[in-house]
Amino acid sequence: MGVWRGACVAVLFGIVLLVLIPVYVPRPSFIPGFAPPPDMWPRTVSGLGLALGLLLVALSFSKRAEAIADPESASVLRGEAPKATLLLRFALAVAAFVLYALLVPFLGFLLTSILMLLLMLAMTGYARARLPVSLALAIGLPVALFFFFSSALRTRFPVGSLLRALGF
Amino acid sequence: MLHDLLMAFQAVATIENFLIMAAGIWGGVIIGAIPGMTGTMAVTLALPFTFYMQPIPSILLLVALYKGSTYGGSVSAILIKTPGTASAACTTLDGYPLAQQGKAGKALNMALYSSCTGDFISNLSLIFIAAPLALLALRIGPPEFFMLMVFALTTVAGVSGRSLLLGLVSACLGLLLATVGEDMYGSFRFDITVDMQSGLAVAPVLIGLFAIPELLKIIVFRHQQTAKPMQMGDNRVTREELRRSLKAMLKGSAIGVVMGAIPGIGPSAAAFSAYGEAQRSSKNRDNFGHGEVEGIAASESANNGCCGSTMIPLLALGVPGDVITGVMLGAFMIHGMTPGPMMFETNLNEIYMLFIGMMFSSILLFGAGKVTMRMFSHISRIPPGMMAPTVLILCLFGIFSISNSLFDVYVLLAMGVFGFLMYLFAIPAAPFLIAFILGPMLEENLRRALALSRGDPSILLSSPITWLFAALALFVLIITIRQQLNKAKR
Repeated sequence: MGVWRGACVAVLFGIVLLVLIPVYVPRPSFIPGFAPPPDMWPRTVSGLGLALGLLLVALSFSKRAEAIADPESASVLRGEAPKATLLLRFALAVAAFVLYALLVPFLGFLLTSILMLLLMLAMTGYARARLPVSLALAIGLPVALFFFFSSALRTRFPVGSLLRALGF
Repeated sequence: MLHDLLMAFQAVATIENFLIMAAGIWGGVIIGAIPGMTGTMAVTLALPFTFYMQPIPSILLLVALYKGSTYGGSVSAILIKTPGTASAACTTLDGYPLAQQGKAGKALNMALYSSCTGDFISNLSLIFIAAPLALLALRIGPPEFFMLMVFALTTVAGVSGRSLLLGLVSACLGLLLATVGEDMYGSFRFDITVDMQSGLAVAPVLIGLFAIPELLKIIVFRHQQTAKPMQMGDNRVTREELRRSLKAMLKGSAIGVVMGAIPGIGPSAAAFSAYGEAQRSSKNRDNFGHGEVEGIAASESANNGCCGSTMIPLLALGVPGDVITGVMLGAFMIHGMTPGPMMFETNLNEIYMLFIGMMFSSILLFGAGKVTMRMFSHISRIPPGMMAPTVLILCLFGIFSISNSLFDVYVLLAMGVFGFLMYLFAIPAAPFLIAFILGPMLEENLRRALALSRGDPSILLSSPITWLFAALALFVLIITIRQQLNKAKR
């Protein structure tokens, strides 16, 4: 895992340093006094990160430096499950998050949260074992939280374009 | 002074004041335990109620809310790995593993004892060393502040994981993310969307990083699905554990007092620094991160150790150290008192009443902690497969309600995925978080120092205080590398 991790860290900081900073951290045409420019700190940090990533890669080839570079092997975290299954589960969970973000403006905060909770309970496997409890929880908890935050803190949750069109 | 303190004791020791403080402490513990609701929110919401109260009870209510919420943050940190407040994030490192071992009661009790100890010592420091500490805090300029933060970051990066390099990588990631948004001179950085111009808020980053990866672990690995629900289990902290943790508790309290007295640093940095110091000096350092009571003692005593000392710059100099003391400054002024050196001459009686009230609130914190511990004990019996999605929904509602922003909700989810990837790569989350919190202050003080010196970096080592912090940072780095190399040899 050490080489991959080091490479990922180096690539991430490298992209920030060479691609993102030149585009998204512009230097103003006038800087008052002797104040350092706004890109000084992001460049310093990402340069340091890039160096650390390369160091991680280099140390991964040395067994003696294992304690500094690579304290845990991937198999300890992964267990017995095949990699493809794990990747599929992870992709599904991320897809659920993306779907939530896309649906909130359309279905509103409450309805999307109900669907999200139901989906998550199904993904953890709890809904398969106790479906009635899961359904009650998926509806009851978001509704209770919705009314608590709306009345106690006067939070105005997004209603959603669909429900607004239906007159809610 | 003794006569004045006795008079103040008589004035504070009324049923009405006790009820106000008890309500504040209890309310603070509950609010602090809810993910997304912070002590700042509790104090700000209570401020309008204080308009109708007497000056001292109103300040005591705000102080009680602050103390209660600081402890309350540890309850959810231990039971559901979701720190209610940023300062409790450090408590998750050992509190949650202890809860997983069926010793949630022990973790909660240790958090309570340490919080009360830190709080009590902090109050004593407020009473006896407010003036000298405030003077010391005033001598800390941009270079000293920068070096202090570098020292805090080095400590955290070195001890919160098993690898110093990975800790430093984590800290760099946190520092980089903290640069998103408007900088001190009004330039926008990484403003890929309009929402990013105001930067990323601490709460969604904090909660996303600690709470959401737990859900993803259950979904992806399914290893906790068959696990039994957590038990409160062994409730008592043994005498041996208490004796073992006493040093960490006292050191944590001292670190909390000093860091709380310096405006701007706050309890999160204090908790992580105390944790780092406790791990460095402990015989059980290998057990840190796996459910070590000393770790909980250090972080909780430090974050509550800040509660009293944050009042030092406020009362002695009239300088609020953070948002909460800023709100308290407003409360003082509403009631016709102006904190600062003159207040010790014009409102000495009120100051002594405040001191006595704060001492009482430490005792009340203990009682409220015991009561809420029983109340929250049911949480530990919920199966993880049900608990993790429930926490996600609590976080979504809590985070949205902070600033009515969907962007914060998206940040929460994105940070959850990022936190899970960090877990897969065994990169510790704690240095990331503390770097994210300290990042803006670190950069601001570096740029201020460089502007003062006309770009000469030698200003960062120009005073005895900067030398002290630089030497300490170097010392921690060398010790950590040596420890890790020795471990590799074994």
